[in-house]
Amino acid sequence: MTATPIDAGKPPVVPPVISWRARMRDILGRPTSIAAIAAAAFAFPLIDRNDGDVDAAANALAFAILALGLNIVVGFAGLLDLGYAAFFAIGAYTYGIFASYQVQPEWSSFWEPLQWLGLVARLPGADGGMDHVHFTVSFWLMLPVSAVVAAFFGMLFGAPTLRLKGDYLAIVTLGFGEIVPIVARNVPSLTNGAAGLNGVAPPNLFGYAFGVKSVPYYYLGLTLLVLLIFVSVRLRDSRIGRAWMAIREDEIAAEAMGINRARLKLMAFAVGAAFAGMTGTFYVAKLQTATPEMFTFPVSVMVLVMIVLGGMGSVAGVVLGALVLQLLQSWFLQDLTQWVHALGRVTGIAFFEQVDLVQSIELIFGVILVLMMLYRREGLIPAQRAVTHLTHAEQTAVPSRGGIAGEFALSSRAIDPGKPLLEVKGLRKSYGGIKAVQGVNLTVMPGSIVAVIGPNGSGKTTLFNLITGLVKPDGGKVLLGGKSITALAPHLIVERGIARTFQNLRLFANMTVTDNVLVGTHARTATGLLGAVIRSPRTRREEHDARVRAVGVLSIFGNRLLPRIEHLARTLSYANRRRLEIARALVSEPALLLLDEPTAGMNPTETLELTDQIRSMRERGLTILLIEHKLNVVNEIADTVVVLDHGEKIAEGAPEEVHRNKEVLRAYLGRTAANAAA
Amino acid sequence: MTIWDLLLQQIINGISLGAMYALLALGFTMVYGIIELINFAHFNVFMVGSFVALWVLQAMGIVGQSHPLFGLELIGVLLIALIATMVITGLIGVAIERICLRPMRNVPGTAAMITTIGVSYILFNLILLGAGADSKNYANPLPNVRWEIGEAVLRLREVLVWAVAFGLMFGLNFFVRRTKMGKAMQATAQDPEAAAMMGVDVDRVVVIAFFLGSALAGAAGLIFGLYYNYTSFIIGYTAGLRAFTAAVLGGIGNIPGAVLGGLLIGLIESLGGQFLAVRWTDVIIFSILVLVLVFRPAGILGRVAANRS
Repeated sequence: MTATPIDAGKPPVVPPVISWRARMRDILGRPTSIAAIAAAAFAFPLIDRNDGDVDAAANALAFAILALGLNIVVGFAGLLDLGYAAFFAIGAYTYGIFASYQVQPEWSSFWEPLQWLGLVARLPGADGGMDHVHFTVSFWLMLPVSAVVAAFFGMLFGAPTLRLKGDYLAIVTLGFGEIVPIVARNVPSLTNGAAGLNGVAPPNLFGYAFGVKSVPYYYLGLTLLVLLIFVSVRLRDSRIGRAWMAIREDEIAAEAMGINRARLKLMAFAVGAAFAGMTGTFYVAKLQTATPEMFTFPVSVMVLVMIVLGGMGSVAGVVLGALVLQLLQSWFLQDLTQWVHALGRVTGIAFFEQVDLVQSIELIFGVILVLMMLYRREGLIPAQRAVTHLTHAEQTAVPSRGGIAGEFALSSRAIDPGKPLLEVKGLRKSYGGIKAVQGVNLTVMPGSIVAVIGPNGSGKTTLFNLITGLVKPDGGKVLLGGKSITALAPHLIVERGIARTFQNLRLFANMTVTDNVLVGTHARTATGLLGAVIRSPRTRREEHDARVRAVGVLSIFGNRLLPRIEHLARTLSYANRRRLEIARALVSEPALLLLDEPTAGMNPTETLELTDQIRSMRERGLTILLIEHKLNVVNEIADTVVVLDHGEKIAEGAPEEVHRNKEVLRAYLGRTAANAAA
Repeated sequence: MTIWDLLLQQIINGISLGAMYALLALGFTMVYGIIELINFAHFNVFMVGSFVALWVLQAMGIVGQSHPLFGLELIGVLLIALIATMVITGLIGVAIERICLRPMRNVPGTAAMITTIGVSYILFNLILLGAGADSKNYANPLPNVRWEIGEAVLRLREVLVWAVAFGLMFGLNFFVRRTKMGKAMQATAQDPEAAAMMGVDVDRVVVIAFFLGSALAGAAGLIFGLYYNYTSFIIGYTAGLRAFTAAVLGGIGNIPGAVLGGLLIGLIESLGGQFLAVRWTDVIIFSILVLVLVFRPAGILGRVAANRS
């Protein structure tokens, strides 16, 4: 072995990154660049005095906000929404109805306080008829209201889709996306049907009427965009954003790490819809009209094309994608058409003389979708950070024996050492005719290591799935610290103090090592949507503590994982993935850790190393239940061995007792071998 | 017209529509059954099929509906149009699979589905730019033969639609159940990896599924034109979504289910349009789609798939 051990305390020497994309990101990410972009955006209407150009730019800003919103649903949380325009429509009509002459109930005293608040005006009836109510709700009030209304519908439409997997979810959202414009068309009393709402009031700011000028809308759009970029970035880098991405990467693992799947998905739908609702209000105020045709499937697809082009999950990318496509449509295609016509006249080719490229924008969208998917799925500005290369010393790790070094507690729980930590009583589960687990009883005392062994298909993993709530039992009980956790949702079981790893490795492949571990802290942290955006001192402290803890837990594995904390989980070696899964489970501060074949795929040295580490975890107060096929590992560390066969417990006891057990020999080696041994 | 005559008339219409949806639904269901992909391109393969059939008919000198043909001549013209259309749309399907979808076969997530949306958009806009936005009067050689049952009318075109649609469906069923390739297809649908290990050329199976599905969509396109006497670049979207709903309703991945779902959706559309309101038909159909997906994702005939966890 030629590698030299490196000092974990010393910052690793990182060679310069050569990828041009990383360099671009680096340049774009600098404060001076951001300031330059902001200044250019601010100065644009002052430089380009063409009203049409500014108007197109204002529309592009609106679509950039839509793209940001869809990016939260599709890019962050991985929920493919093909009916996103529905929320755009809902926001537009919410404002449109309360700021136009469409709905005019008869005047009564009920409306007087609202008139006093300036929400309605009294319209004198024609020809001595009844007076009517005219809604005059301020744009500035309706902006947040539309966001809330759209968010409500986001949750309403999202709720039925919670159990659906990706492609079915897409179809259901597509269905809702179709239904909303149809309803708008078919309820003319509210929406004026296919003709659309007319005379929607433009905004008015301290007496300055926006009217039909483009410049004020441009600045309003810019303000909203900057605000929502801020919100997107804050959410992305928070507990909430990590939970969304965890769901995107692997729903089941996310649940098993303490994430309330239903709640976070609804949250993503709601936030995405809220963005669209605000944009709808902005857009309809700008156009002063709303028709059902403005919100049909092609709009949803256009926004999808924007985020695919820019890069799903990448905030800067989707904004760029939206601006490029919108401006392509309204600025460049017209110019380009002129040039092609000129070319046609010069060359005498009739097709070039007549072709209208503006009409072919959807063709271009289709081509972009296909080409991006085939050749650059991560988009123009990928969401994932470029990975720095490791030095040779960092790549080669020296096996370390002796368990975990350094002083830190793994668990801060008070556990009664006299009472069993986990009790499983008569647990049963059948799949069709197969009894995977039948009437298993199991007791795990605090501070012990219990190993579950058994031939393949004996029900070990099913037992783990039953304990952690991923599979609901047909009967029997699971008690943790004397309290029933039977059939609780997986994320609640994590909160109660059980964490697990998976036999087949369920890491969040496209998240970094750090983020994988931070997801593990989800059940022990509390930051919500608002906290993530505002980032209060409490949130900052929580995030800081979580990161300190994450690095602490990663340091258990010495320099195996620490040099790679910014790497994506999918780039790790097999053994390192196993270690990362253990770290992710440990960071949730469990009382009981369930390890499903932790040493599978590890070489003998790595196995020894991990065996020591598992033993040290127990010394630091953790109780461990593990499934393991390597009997030398089991013999080395287990206090008690439980043997399963055909879903039944056939033996239990100290390792050496179990090895002599006739039933166990029969199960593993067959009847003759068992008799011979006897 | 009595209510019973109305009902009978709408059942006749519904079965005709349903037969067309069923042909389309078969394409969705075969592709989904084998590679678990919702193929949005299928919507517009159907639409392109109706144009191809129109062009083939026009190439044979048929213009508008005023010059009906009879007897062998009629059968010959229709057979040529049907076969030519099916071969051309089938090849379009093969091209889509080979160029756009095969590289995506093992990409996890929704990338392949997004690609099919892109392909669908490309087909849609190629026809829009090439043939124009106006709807096209169809070339229809069918004579106006009709039988009256009470006050309900059964026309030759309906009988023809049924004959073509059900003939093709039985043919497909025979192919899938009785031929070696059909068995390979079933095996691939169960487990592509295991099928590959047993010597099934999975790429070939997928291409054939795309060919057959797209060919049936082409046949449905011809049927649409002959039935409604027009075609337009926009017909793919509505018909495609209804057919997809049919496939889901019957149990996606299930061939008899697609036929059953198609007929049900056709009947719902015609009866709902008659007895409820046409403008709500789409809402009804989408509501069925959402309800089936949420409460019985396996559909009427499908078995509940084991959730892989």
